[in-house]
Amino acid sequence: MDYDKLLNCAVELGCRLMYSGAEIYRVEESISRLLQAYGLESPEVFAIPTCVIVSVTTPEGHPITRMRRIAAHGTDIELLERCNQLCRWLCAQRPTVEEARSLVRALTDYARQYAPWQVLMGYGIAPAFFSPLFGGGAADAVCALIGGLAVGLCLVYGRRLIGSNGFFRTAVCSALGSLVSLLLVRMGLGNSLDNVTISVLMVLVPGMALTNAMREIMAGDIISGLSRAAEAILTASAIAIGSTVGLAIGGAF
Amino acid sequence: MDMLWFDYGLPCLWAFLACIGFTFVFNIHGVGKLICGVGGALGWLVYLLAGSTILAAFLASAAIGLYAEVMARLRRCPVTGYLLVALLPLVPGGGIYYAMSYCVAGDTGRFLDTLLHTFGMAAALAVGAMLTSSLFRAAYLHLNHRKSAG
Repeated sequence: MDYDKLLNCAVELGCRLMYSGAEIYRVEESISRLLQAYGLESPEVFAIPTCVIVSVTTPEGHPITRMRRIAAHGTDIELLERCNQLCRWLCAQRPTVEEARSLVRALTDYARQYAPWQVLMGYGIAPAFFSPLFGGGAADAVCALIGGLAVGLCLVYGRRLIGSNGFFRTAVCSALGSLVSLLLVRMGLGNSLDNVTISVLMVLVPGMALTNAMREIMAGDIISGLSRAAEAILTASAIAIGSTVGLAIGGAF
Repeated sequence: MDMLWFDYGLPCLWAFLACIGFTFVFNIHGVGKLICGVGGALGWLVYLLAGSTILAAFLASAAIGLYAEVMARLRRCPVTGYLLVALLPLVPGGGIYYAMSYCVAGDTGRFLDTLLHTFGMAAALAVGAMLTSSLFRAAYLHLNHRKSAG
């Protein structure tokens, strides 16, 4: 068996899992189960949110190691479910390494994706319903919808303009969101500035990072947990700083 | 009856719809969308019934954790997606905003008050969901082990 190819295939699968936002223990376990299914006795896998390292020893006693850096990424539950299914299927069926590799490669093509306008709609719908949830009226909901769409536009289409720095991106989006809500309330469309701003900022809030941080820590991956917790705190401060700037700019007019 | 609807029914409906909005952002398809929405509504209902305090947030996130684990087992899918979307309405976005505005206004007392309350909410959410998750997993393993042994 070609262990180089097998290792590449396993690392590819691990990377896909990582990019889809899987927990660390799931990435590590999936890689090592896959390698064990193909007869490698004790694969060593180490993963943190930005890097995956896999090392195996072939039956002839020859060690091979592969390392992959993971760039910043979002969350893609559909891809996560597909990867999980494929990993289970590979471990149970054990097709040839070439076949497994082409299946892993095809994952990204077959996973369904929402069109950008649908994602944008999602960014609008969520704040529009958060507003009545936090006690706002119909006018506030409409303002939150517009503010959410503005933030969504910035996130979906403005990636090239703002760059990939997460802290900066969150700060800019939160400034934009609070500025739009302030202007809409000033124009007399919305009633409660606090309600509209909070509803719009809910799409930026680090609920994801917070949940993941706790899951990692509970699973025993302290390093990853701490780095995700730091991410959550940084995002929260970025929201606070951004909305202050937005309100200050709006207040200057 | 009307009171019940306005106090509990409508907010849960809003939470349900807001969660559906988030499923577009996190690329969740099919039945998963519905599961996430119902999870959000369930969490908010528990939060309202328990009195909208930090303890209520803890109970709500515990309920969501249990619900997400059961649904993940039924669908044989990772639990992350359901858990994370259903928890979103409870995340203290308002706390961050108010803390920021008190800080800028120079009102240190209320700033610290709000900040600590926000941290409390966040911790309650995280611990609640993880606690039921871990308990469920332990119980599930135990039961499965018994079944395969017997």
